[in-house]
Amino acid sequence: MTNRTYTFLTAIIGVICGFVIVRSFLFADSLTVRNDLVQGFLVGAGLGVVAVEILARIKATRVNGWITVFGCGVPGNDIFTRAACARIFPGPVNVPQEAMYWKTGVDGAGHTLSGERDFILHFPPGGLPPNDAFWSLTMADAKEHFVANPINRYSVGDRSGLAQNPDGSVDIYLQNAAPAGHEANWLPAPAGRFILWLRVYMPGAAILRGDYTVPPVVEARPSR
Amino acid sequence: MTGYQHLLLFGSVTVAACFLFVYFWPRILLVVYKRAILVKGFGEGPVPVNTLYTEPQAVFADPLRAAPASGSNLMTTGANRDTLLMAGWLDLRNGPQVLHVPDMGGRYYSVQLTDPSNNTNFAYVGKRTTGTAAGDYLISGPGWTGSVPQGMTRISSPNNSVLVVGRTLVERDADVSAAYALSKQIRLTPLGG
Repeated sequence: MTNRTYTFLTAIIGVICGFVIVRSFLFADSLTVRNDLVQGFLVGAGLGVVAVEILARIKATRVNGWITVFGCGVPGNDIFTRAACARIFPGPVNVPQEAMYWKTGVDGAGHTLSGERDFILHFPPGGLPPNDAFWSLTMADAKEHFVANPINRYSVGDRSGLAQNPDGSVDIYLQNAAPAGHEANWLPAPAGRFILWLRVYMPGAAILRGDYTVPPVVEARPSR
Repeated sequence: MTGYQHLLLFGSVTVAACFLFVYFWPRILLVVYKRAILVKGFGEGPVPVNTLYTEPQAVFADPLRAAPASGSNLMTTGANRDTLLMAGWLDLRNGPQVLHVPDMGGRYYSVQLTDPSNNTNFAYVGKRTTGTAAGDYLISGPGWTGSVPQGMTRISSPNNSVLVVGRTLVERDADVSAAYALSKQIRLTPLGG
């Protein structure tokens, strides 16, 4: 389920809740105990969906367009964190010490990522995600599926032979067509919208402390 | 009843239902996983309780074309290209299960044990927590009072149901078969079985 569909469904549920509330209290014929219970339950469940959405926004950490949540999967965490984690990472997500995940559908300026334009993820010298296992950047289309491409490359990372710039920084090219001269650092994008997943397994202390900042995805200038 | 009382009743039920939804939302989500594992499977039929399913090599190597036509698509949605996945559902009511892990030779792997009642991970077996040497881990449910056989490490589960998710690192495309061979040696047996 994409974000847009989810927002749409949430809005519909909101409208239904509003209707039920107005219907219940402005028309006396519907004032029965049974209606109170049934409608209270339905409206409450609807508000629960909205509450999970709000919690997800409160608990999420957003930096440079990337979204993550700290504290997922940790025994003893609170019900609000659990609900937010289940919304943002739907599934049995790892504890932070085992793996941290970031995802984004926008660049650092808040523009939607799409293969219609070319993007770059620039890691400064020494700025690759610190870890004791591995890290990866995975490309997915708007439905969170892999993207077909001529070189069968679905992710790049510590094992994919990324080339460094002379100053030790690393550029990852997120675009639909192969970047001439930079094929090793090309993560093929679909023609349309896409999302990115950054995974860091056994993340370093800087990540767990919240000191590590994932760099923003930036739109490449056409003149380059 | 007056309109005020109706509003009070309606409001209380609404607030209660809202909290219940937030509280049960992670659990509802994992019911989908339970169903995916035990009822639908991942393209090769349902995965029996107390067994581990390992993602086939072909699906990892060519996820777009080799993805199974039938079964749950949970393994291919939001999927990763780093690790071969394993999944299983434990029922510990009839006794503990033993998780056997081979010598992974320093390779990153993890077996995540999740309490499906709240989607938290009460234990891990893997490189970070237990190292990569071979080992046997006794996973027991609440209230089990038997003795732990020599050479086994006990992991106490707070719940008789356990969602197991395993991940084995694939170093590069040519490494898939080696990672698969190791993953298949991560397996479950009943205690004494």
